Amino acid sequence: MENSEQQVYTVSDFQAVCNQILETAFTGVIIEGEIASYKVNQGKYVFFDLKDEQSSVGCFMMVYQQRFPLEDGMKVRVRALPKLTNWGKFSLTVQAIQPVGEGSLKKSFEMLKKKLAGEGLFDPAKKRPLPDRIEKIGVISSTQAAGYADFCKILNERWGGLTVLTAHTQVQGMTAADQIIRALKYMNERGEVDVIAVIRGGGSADDLAVFNDEALVRAIAASKIPVITGIGHEVDESLCDLAADVVASTPSNAAQMLTRDRREVKGALRADVNRINNLLKDKIDEITEVNCKEIARVADEIYHKIDLIRTEVIGQNKILAQLNPENVLARGYALVRGDVAVGSDVEIETAKQILTAYVKAIKEK
Amino acid sequence: MAKTISDKISELKTGVEWFYSDDFKLEEASEKYKALTTLAKEIESDLDGLKNEIKVIEEDFSKE
Repeated sequence: MENSEQQVYTVSDFQAVCNQILETAFTGVIIEGEIASYKVNQGKYVFFDLKDEQSSVGCFMMVYQQRFPLEDGMKVRVRALPKLTNWGKFSLTVQAIQPVGEGSLKKSFEMLKKKLAGEGLFDPAKKRPLPDRIEKIGVISSTQAAGYADFCKILNERWGGLTVLTAHTQVQGMTAADQIIRALKYMNERGEVDVIAVIRGGGSADDLAVFNDEALVRAIAASKIPVITGIGHEVDESLCDLAADVVASTPSNAAQMLTRDRREVKGALRADVNRINNLLKDKIDEITEVNCKEIARVADEIYHKIDLIRTEVIGQNKILAQLNPENVLARGYALVRGDVAVGSDVEIETAKQILTAYVKAIKEK
Repeated sequence: MAKTISDKISELKTGVEWFYSDDFKLEEASEKYKALTTLAKEIESDLDGLKNEIKVIEEDFSKE
């Protein structure tokens, strides 16, 4: 049985070599299966079996690596390193885990939603409005994603002069949550942007599962910079949406919420100018009307005074006419001029004649 | 320093408010109206010419 050329291992060495072979053969294998015998020991260590109809394999992970609530019967996808333990037991050391399938995702979503809501992560009182003046937008998305292209298209159509700093990350898959968390951290540490938009277009429930990752939800809730999410379609709701300050229904909608529409601004400008134009016309009409009324009032006053003067002149004329000696003479009277004394001559003027008369006698009446 | 579009829009807003304020004087209104009309056209032109600057951060977020 013995062969002097064949290497003899100690048990520990053999176990170490096996692990080296496993590590080389499976650098982060991804396996899908159903959870069984799930348990957490000492609040730190998570153990469960991953199984399908024929087989089962033991799994181990640290509790902080568990980013979604898990329970027996849940279908999950794990990224793991296969390992032979010191006790010769084959197991998977889980690096990441994610529920898959509608039922598991829904269950996990509801469990985590309840837990985080209980901690106040979704408290409406904690929500911050978008800044009034946005000049720099931080975008976290995949630059290859259709949702990102939609976001940029709408942004460029609506407004300009903005600086958009995009952090390119994966937006689905097992590493996406960590990448988005790193991008959030990067932007918060630099503090260059006024708002952070987390963008991802529509997809299946599995594709969008990353946005229900506990650590990511917590990172969004803890962001110092306000966060707007535009994830999936109108009907999709993620826990990241619930934790964000502002929720847009889609990436395009996020672009709409972050910008004014230059066409609306131009319309408002024109309306302002028209409004002033009309106001100015109204003011001029108003002042013209006041002036016209004043002119009419003064004219009335002048005409009235003229009438008064005319009436007075007519009256005076009548008096003058009465006082006119010609009129008196016309009525048959005569005007006597000269020294009215017996023996003297006097001049008598009638309406039509002037007579010279001799005064023969004078009688007192 | 050149005025931003927001500065110009604020200036236009203040100008419009003057027409509704007690400071309004018909003698000054015509000149102010002409100035605001010019400003509005300038803003429109600025708006048409505005472009966004979109930069992708070089940091590799896939690395831990």
